Amino acid sequence: MSIIADRDTRVVIQGGPAGVNAARRMAEFCHLAKAPLTVQAFVFPPDAGKINEVPYGSEIVSIPVYKSVAEAIADHPDINTSLVYVGPDRAFGAAREALNVDAIRLVSMITEGVPEKDTKLLSRVAREKGKIFNGPSAIGIISAGECRLGVIGGAFDNLVLSKLYRPGSFGVITKSGGLSNEIIWICSQFADGITTAIGIGGDAYPGSDYVTYLEMFEQDPKTHAVVIVGEMGGDLEERAADWYAAKKRRIKLMAVISGFCQEVLPKGMKFGHAGAKEGMKGEGSARHKADRLREAGAIVPSTFGGLGPAIKEVYQELLAKGVVKEAPAVEPEALPKLPKTIEESRKSGEVFVEPLVKTTISDDRGEEPLYYGYPASELINQGYQIPHVIGLLWNKKLISPQEAEIVKRIIMLSADHGPAVSGALTTIIAACAGISMSQAVAAGLIMIGPRFGGAVTDAGKWFKYAVENKLSVDEFLSYMKSNVGPVPGIGHRVKSVKNPDKRVKELVNYVKSQKLFMPHLDFALEVEKVTTAKKDTLILNVDGTIAAILVDLGFSVESLNGFFILARTIGLVGHWIDQKQQGSRLMRLFDYLINYAAPKKKEVPPLK
Amino acid sequence: MAKVLEGPGMGLLKKWGMTVPGYVVVTSTDHFEQASSAAKWLKDSRLVVKAHEAIGSRMKLGLVKVNLDWPAAKQAVKEMLGKALGGGMTVSQVIVSEMIPHKEEYYISVKSTREGAELLLANVGGIEIESNWDRIQKLPVPIGETPSKESLADLAKRAGFGKDLASKMAEFAAKLYQCYDHEDAQYLEINPLVLRSNDQELVALDAVTLLDADARFRHPDWVFSFAAEFGRPYSEHERAVMEVDSKIKGSVKFIEIPGGDTALLPAGGGASVFYTDAVVALGGKPANYAEYSGDPPDWAVEVLTEKVCSLPNLKRIIVGGAIANFTNVKKTFAGIIAGFRKAKAEGKLNGVEIWVRRGGPFEKEGLAAMKALEAEGFLIHVFDRNTPLTDIVDMSLKKESMADGSSSHKKTATMTLRGAKAGEARQ
Repeated sequence: MSIIADRDTRVVIQGGPAGVNAARRMAEFCHLAKAPLTVQAFVFPPDAGKINEVPYGSEIVSIPVYKSVAEAIADHPDINTSLVYVGPDRAFGAAREALNVDAIRLVSMITEGVPEKDTKLLSRVAREKGKIFNGPSAIGIISAGECRLGVIGGAFDNLVLSKLYRPGSFGVITKSGGLSNEIIWICSQFADGITTAIGIGGDAYPGSDYVTYLEMFEQDPKTHAVVIVGEMGGDLEERAADWYAAKKRRIKLMAVISGFCQEVLPKGMKFGHAGAKEGMKGEGSARHKADRLREAGAIVPSTFGGLGPAIKEVYQELLAKGVVKEAPAVEPEALPKLPKTIEESRKSGEVFVEPLVKTTISDDRGEEPLYYGYPASELINQGYQIPHVIGLLWNKKLISPQEAEIVKRIIMLSADHGPAVSGALTTIIAACAGISMSQAVAAGLIMIGPRFGGAVTDAGKWFKYAVENKLSVDEFLSYMKSNVGPVPGIGHRVKSVKNPDKRVKELVNYVKSQKLFMPHLDFALEVEKVTTAKKDTLILNVDGTIAAILVDLGFSVESLNGFFILARTIGLVGHWIDQKQQGSRLMRLFDYLINYAAPKKKEVPPLK
Repeated sequence: MAKVLEGPGMGLLKKWGMTVPGYVVVTSTDHFEQASSAAKWLKDSRLVVKAHEAIGSRMKLGLVKVNLDWPAAKQAVKEMLGKALGGGMTVSQVIVSEMIPHKEEYYISVKSTREGAELLLANVGGIEIESNWDRIQKLPVPIGETPSKESLADLAKRAGFGKDLASKMAEFAAKLYQCYDHEDAQYLEINPLVLRSNDQELVALDAVTLLDADARFRHPDWVFSFAAEFGRPYSEHERAVMEVDSKIKGSVKFIEIPGGDTALLPAGGGASVFYTDAVVALGGKPANYAEYSGDPPDWAVEVLTEKVCSLPNLKRIIVGGAIANFTNVKKTFAGIIAGFRKAKAEGKLNGVEIWVRRGGPFEKEGLAAMKALEAEGFLIHVFDRNTPLTDIVDMSLKKESMADGSSSHKKTATMTLRGAKAGEARQ
């Protein structure tokens, strides 16, 4: 048995992320107590129509989000409780809305910092409608083995340690959220645990107070004693004392009160919860409250530490009288476990997961990315450059400054080739059609292939083949002629021996000046000598030159096109930005640029 | 509850149609002279000069001067500004207001009650009210309602006001209630309320104004800051922590208590007071009050820890806490540990014993991290949920040496005994 929250409690949570978190904690309790899921709907207008996911055991339950409490109830007629998790400026409206819906009989508000006036108005509305308004700043309500509203009870392990999977004999009412857990724990260690524990919040005039719930506990046959945690300020504890003294009560009342320190602290120095304010004439002081409760017959230990033994004494008495029976011990193994996440299970060595992806180049799990093991910031601090990063990520090598300079030159001379080439033109057309940067640049990159910029890999592949197999230029050319076709990297549409490609010349001269061992470049230049003798335009083009040099630097054949793609991306991004800044309009070919070779207009025959 | 100083308090009364004396709040004599050229009455009236600070017994401290002409007022302003208030605080503002000639003094207030509010009225005021508390007449006003004309007239009549004055008083009470209700006040007290001799107008001479700080979001015209409520302005460190508190999810709180040697760094608005009680019950001297709760970010807890470690003459620090619902013990402890390390590096915490007790999410990891501080040379004692909440206070003050995390039952029994003794001693 329990009060106000039981197995029939069904909940709508009014609020966003904090509410979803609460729903998850509540689902953990439902799993432990083998109870159906209590949260059935959320109300959060910004997310209306969406779904919140809540793990329940090893399943994920989808819980709909509604615009209003009334809409939620229309779909989920079993809902009878609302938990308010919205900010203080909207809390009043949310709670008011819930109280106005007939089906809701309990509204509990977690929100802190709610204006006192709002709380009083909500209390009045609840009172007039015969409903319960709990809070604000109330941690929640938990009935052992039955229902959890909010995050009261803490982490899953604590639910188990505090035996919240089955009811005990003690009721708990506290203002403090943290202490509610402490008292639940004490009840489970010194006695048989709790029936229901309620956080009423630390405000001076909470929506419901000790007396509200003492009345209910008095009617609950399973609850034999109630522990309240009081504090200086207000008169809630005095009201509890009056209630207890008014007539013979079935339940035993126990209390601890905080705030005795006020007696020796500098006058006027107040702290603790919002409601912890002493009255002008000593009413509301901790001593006043403790005395009144003791006079009323309640058990009030002098210190917090005395509470455990006092609870034990009451429990032993209940056992001796036969009012309660010792709760059978539950083996922890018999309780449902919270399913572990894969990560947790891996940590404890319980599962092995076949990885889906394997990487050999980088790792971003630490404080900063590691490029083939080297922290990015340290590379930067020690003066390494972009070519070194390329070397690490494309070829797993920390290249020399000399090599880096060559890579840098290759990228610089391939960065752009004007708007007329297919890649740039495509990006420009896309930019004019209003396409976003990443898509427009990608469209340009799609043009890179066998006829445009994509010959680097193939050129490298065949030069490498020739050098590896020690082919002479003649052997190579005849092999290519019979097996492959035109030699990739040889030939240009415009440039020739007489009109050489300046970019190639510069690059070759620079590389040669470095006195590096460049067998592929040397071979390519030998090939050029033979081919240009046959035809003026069969020069070693920029793709072929780059390919031969990069193979000489040790880059793999697979990586070669990457240099052109990377370099040209700089140009394509530039073209996109350029068009964007000009505000270029949609482009359309003029008719005179098209040869309309299609059939002339014909009559359409009737459809048969 | 948040206290508002006299100046802004008077401003609110004026806003709701009540008459208050002319007043200016000044921060320098130049400022006072400027104000005087703008407000002619300052030169023509008899004046009252008061320190505009959140401190009690201003009269005793010589921070109230009455019946002054303008030159004397200027002199008083000059003398009062910059006057030391103790604890490194000085008078930074002075309020100069007009003396109102009157014969009779009355008392009126509105206070918050569970059911709504209560209007209190007496036909005696000023210091006389203290000895005439029984002459106060009350009118309860349920929440969501406004007192009717009839009920207010009846209140004034019951308080012993004659016919003419009664209707004036009822009207004034209606305005005061309006002000209370619309300004989210929790306490408004006007004492004395006087009848101005020349025009028989009711004038509020002094006001105590407590507003509901939580309602600030709907009062864009509350441009004033709230005053400290414990009889002194906030210290630099207290302000620093308040600043952090205003920025974060969850909360951190810090109040200095001069002369103490036991620092408190507990979690939770409820548990923190039990810890302070435990220190006091055993004759210990708290050096501060502190509290963090609602899963605050670790950097906020670190700032709080630094301030706690900066307290003078510390012998021990109590890092207590109940079993948390959702505050991550590992993360918040990481903030505390970072604060401790910083303090140690700055040469603080020499010989200071640290006592830890906590439970909640990630308690094992958090407590293990605290325990590991031992290896760094901290004098630290770490206990888990099996040691009752405030036993660490007991142990630290009695300098008992106990094995960490040992069984709790015996300790609890001794605790009760001590508690009982402490109880007796107080009686």
